[in-house]
Amino acid sequence: MTHRRKLAAALVFLAGFYCLVLFAGFFVPYDFAAQNREMPFAPPSALHFVDAQGKFHARPFIYSAQDASQEATPSDANTQRPYPIHFFVRGSHYKIAGLFTSNVHLFGVDDPGQILLMGSDAYGRDQFSRFLYGGQISMLAGLIAALFSVSLGTIVGGIAGYYGGWIDEILMRGSELFLALPWLYLLFAVRAALPLRISQWQVFLLLVAIMGLIGWARPARLIRGVVLSAKQRNFVTAARGFGASDAYLLRKHVLPQTYGVLLTQMTLLIPQYVLAEVTLTFLGLGVGEPMPSWGALLSSLQQYSVLSSYWWMFLPALLLIPLFLVFYTAADALQELHKSVPL
Amino acid sequence: MAKVPLRKQRVALVLGIAFACSFAPAAPGQANEGRTAASGPTEERMITDNAPGHAGGRLAVALRSEPKTLNPALAEDEPSRDVIRCLTADLIHINRSSLKTGPALAKSWRVSRDGKQYTLQLRRGLRFSDGQPFNADDVLFSFQVYLDEKVDSSQRDLLVVGGKPITVAKLDDYTVRFELAQPYAAAERLFDGVAILPRHLLETTYRDGTFSKAWSLSILPSQFAGLGPFRLKEYVPGQRVVLERNPYYWKADHAGNHLPYLDEVVFSFVPSEDAQVIRFQSGEADVLSRFSADNFAVLQKQQLAKGYHLYDLGAGLEYNFLFFNLNDLGSKNVPDIAKKQAWFQDLRFRQAVSSAIDREGIVRLVYSGRATPLWNQGTPGDKLWADAAIPHPPRSLDHARQLLQSAGFSWNKDGSVLDPHGTPVEFSILTSSSNAQRMKMATIIQDDLSQLGMKVQVVSLEFRATVDRLQNTFNYEAAVMGLVSGDADPTADMNVWLSGGETHLWHVGEPKPATQWEAEIDRLMQQQLTTLDYAKRKQLYDRVQEIVSENLPVICLASPNILVGASNRVANFRPAILVPYALWNIEELYIR
Amino acid sequence: MRYFARRLAHAVLLLLGISVFSFALLQLAPGDFFSSLQLNPQISSRTVEALRSQYGLDKPLPVRYGSWLHSVLKGDLGTSFAYNSPVAPLLALRARNTLLLTGTATLLAWLLAIPLGIWSAAHRGEWGDRMGGVMTSTLLTVPDLVLFLALLLLAVRTGWFPTGGMISAEFNDLNFWSKVKDLANHLLLPSLGLALATLPPLVRHIRSAMIEVLDSPFIRAARAHGIAERRVLLRYALPVAANPLISLLGFSIATMLSAGLLVEVILSWPGIGPLLVDAILSKDTYVVVGTVMLSSVFLVAGNLFADMLLFAADPRIRME
Repeated sequence: MTHRRKLAAALVFLAGFYCLVLFAGFFVPYDFAAQNREMPFAPPSALHFVDAQGKFHARPFIYSAQDASQEATPSDANTQRPYPIHFFVRGSHYKIAGLFTSNVHLFGVDDPGQILLMGSDAYGRDQFSRFLYGGQISMLAGLIAALFSVSLGTIVGGIAGYYGGWIDEILMRGSELFLALPWLYLLFAVRAALPLRISQWQVFLLLVAIMGLIGWARPARLIRGVVLSAKQRNFVTAARGFGASDAYLLRKHVLPQTYGVLLTQMTLLIPQYVLAEVTLTFLGLGVGEPMPSWGALLSSLQQYSVLSSYWWMFLPALLLIPLFLVFYTAADALQELHKSVPL
Repeated sequence: MAKVPLRKQRVALVLGIAFACSFAPAAPGQANEGRTAASGPTEERMITDNAPGHAGGRLAVALRSEPKTLNPALAEDEPSRDVIRCLTADLIHINRSSLKTGPALAKSWRVSRDGKQYTLQLRRGLRFSDGQPFNADDVLFSFQVYLDEKVDSSQRDLLVVGGKPITVAKLDDYTVRFELAQPYAAAERLFDGVAILPRHLLETTYRDGTFSKAWSLSILPSQFAGLGPFRLKEYVPGQRVVLERNPYYWKADHAGNHLPYLDEVVFSFVPSEDAQVIRFQSGEADVLSRFSADNFAVLQKQQLAKGYHLYDLGAGLEYNFLFFNLNDLGSKNVPDIAKKQAWFQDLRFRQAVSSAIDREGIVRLVYSGRATPLWNQGTPGDKLWADAAIPHPPRSLDHARQLLQSAGFSWNKDGSVLDPHGTPVEFSILTSSSNAQRMKMATIIQDDLSQLGMKVQVVSLEFRATVDRLQNTFNYEAAVMGLVSGDADPTADMNVWLSGGETHLWHVGEPKPATQWEAEIDRLMQQQLTTLDYAKRKQLYDRVQEIVSENLPVICLASPNILVGASNRVANFRPAILVPYALWNIEELYIR
Repeated sequence: MRYFARRLAHAVLLLLGISVFSFALLQLAPGDFFSSLQLNPQISSRTVEALRSQYGLDKPLPVRYGSWLHSVLKGDLGTSFAYNSPVAPLLALRARNTLLLTGTATLLAWLLAIPLGIWSAAHRGEWGDRMGGVMTSTLLTVPDLVLFLALLLLAVRTGWFPTGGMISAEFNDLNFWSKVKDLANHLLLPSLGLALATLPPLVRHIRSAMIEVLDSPFIRAARAHGIAERRVLLRYALPVAANPLISLLGFSIATMLSAGLLVEVILSWPGIGPLLVDAILSKDTYVVVGTVMLSSVFLVAGNLFADMLLFAADPRIRME
């Protein structure tokens, strides 16, 4: 496959995934905060087509798990009542993009059955619903942090590369300093200093933005490299000879050279920051309950009891792998494409 | 020297002869190595009542983190205390099984009529683990160190009665007298855990003023001596500390065997409870002390296959609770919280919240059923003091709504609760991010209260930031916290219930009680402090518990069960609900 | 030479800056090491205050920084509040354990990456290269956290590996060779995990560096001369491709102390990682600053070392 085709395929996949996540309310059967205290840590519901009597049903159905309560593992499926899966059911209300509400879900089962495609967590909440809703939060976090990182990195790297000399020295030493410091404290401090009135969302976005701002050093170095080589180019010298100002040169001639690197960096950084959000959540700095970021979904894996008994809690982590793969493929393709563009 | 009166001279002569006679070689006994002919009075051993075992074997334990010091005066953290307990002994000891005091280094004692003087008779002929003799001078020295303000030992706070530190005087080589400023009901319990230090090793460093550097983990085994069942053999930083049998230990079983049975105890350091569980499960550790309910389920599956046994001892002494900020916020700049205090201070509001909380759900989801729901601070594990007559009303949202209505609250169209002024009721619950169980409780409470119509936000901060808000800045609205009573006695948590107490969490350090019922609690707690009769004390403390459950300064939630595990090769294992749950009788443990 | 003297001066300035900022950062978050004692009903605030002043925590920040700097110049990195003992020996011991782990992992990773990278480059575009590419990509996208958790689960479920720690309880009773075996046994899983985590970017870089070189004219000339392919790869291409690889090596050295943090925490390896995490969470100031400084020294030294190596190895740079 050519690089262009690879890139296109990756972008289509990502667009599809973003759509899925944006319209999460429709695609999932339950609200992300709906607790079911009778069924904590229930395993995923298996889809059946053939029932206990051997009869084939065209419409798939599930058996709903019994109350797990004091047992080590939730007891096996209650084979008495099958719950057929219905499509386009009415369920809990949700908002799409904060604008319009609906209560139609793609699929669901009748009460009191519960269809758990990825099992349930410690409060009996459906992991599948939380995974897609969580995508909204985590993907947004990754995007915002990457944006901040690359923006600040471009500014600093551009200035350093363009002006050179002692400005360059200072900025590059500064970037080494930045890479070495224990930034966790800053995040703890910011979190601790915020007033109680601020909503969870705002806290989270603030922390994510700070995380992104802290990471300017690596993009800055790359941009600086590109700017350094770009400013040597003949056409830049020529333009300067015609009397172009620094700002004009930067804007019209130098910076456009960096777009390739910028885009590649963004594509590489988004998955990294999604992972960073997971780490922040592990340390207690993530978005608060009951919001379902991917970090929140995975944080229960810190406990050995969950890790060894409830294999389905691993699923969000496994689902991240193909997602990241797509990002890296896109980044690879971008890198190849941008390399072959004559400068 | 003053002339000694005649009678005393005669006594001295008799003693001197007895002294000379005691030079006869000690009778041979089992595992008696290292015992040279006694050069002092015959050893007065304590005879234990456990089933006799045989000597030998090594016990492996995984500690949740590295001990910070081996200095009993400075140890604040549990791992240090765990190791120190195996190396030292106290004068009077609390038997963890019965939760009552009993003789240890002091074989008997008398209490004066006014309850202010305790005269203790020490066992004679005992030696430290390096062979040096033990007598009253060591006791005097130890208490001098603990009470010295320059040493800043946290033990000092426990030895202050009626505002004054206790004093100790030596009556003779084996008798000491303690003076208290006022009669103290839990006086005997004071002595538990107060390790007796060897004067011959520590006096110089104490006089030099370098005591705070003494007995850090970098000491050599030869620099350490104690009266506990084991002595220090080796410390490898970051990995393990190895203890070996103390040949001079002063206990024996009723068959005449010298305790302890174990040759060695190895404490390995692991970073977390999960790592402890993993070690135990794989057989690399023999004992697992106090682990969480989630791990119980995991371990239970393999009990038979892996050859260990798990124990669910029922409720312990921990109580978790939700409380509201009732502090005086005058000087602090938090006007929003001050406005909300109008709700928090209304008893009916707190009662409604308490009624809406699903305690059974908490027990089931947070502790997998291995906990007890609580309605007041006396946990069922505190058998001697918990008031069983306190009512346990079941969860009722209707009752909660009635209470709110009678307090002037109402509901709007979409179900949110509005206060009498029409403001929607919204507040945040603060909790420490490092405690997963309390975070879960807060999440469940959030959901419960949303069913009532209140919008609750869970704010989890790093632990120190949480403490800062609770005790210094008062910048919080509600919080979920937990406390583990240091002892099964009301005086252990005095600072929580006294108005002026520093851990009087909902209204820290009030100069004088803010409400009538808090004044009543103060009075009752002070009274029980000096009441020596158990029945009368129980009445007083029962009343305190009633007042707490009526006025809800804290809304108690649940008390986790004490869960312990041991390999089948460990015999005489008798876990208890008071720390150190599994190893309190380590001298009685042996390997089958 | 003057260049390196300048770099050295910069390095010292950098370390100074790091120390200042670390101290400042630590102050930002509220509370200090002894805050946890405040919540204990059995410890009075008087004791807590006394402890604070004993360790100098009541002095203003610049004063504390000044006295810390003063003692550092004498070789004393301060005292740990948690361990009540000097920081330097504590760090030295943990650093030794970490270096053992990361050293082994780096060695493993490079030993695996070099042949893999060269082979992929030599067979570029063929089936073998594609398979290799897919595997490295997959390994790259598996988050380190998931990888280490999976290894832990493997150890627990199968019992083939020890589940953590550096040595067994019976270590002292073993003879020399058994001790070595015991240590190697415990080292296996964490170093394997770390090597797998760092492998993919290495392979990719080696592969792309080799490809770039293999495309150049002098290689074509060498092949035209009839020199055996193996010789071409190893004797002609590899030394030229070494330039970016040396930078990578420098980067490996630079991150030797910090790279192991996650694996040490998850697989309970007693290195600098768990010490740092604990110290950060409990605000054990001097341990945190000391560890950060030590890591920074490695960072700077690693970069400097790489630059020196490059200078020595690549004549093109010497010409500049």
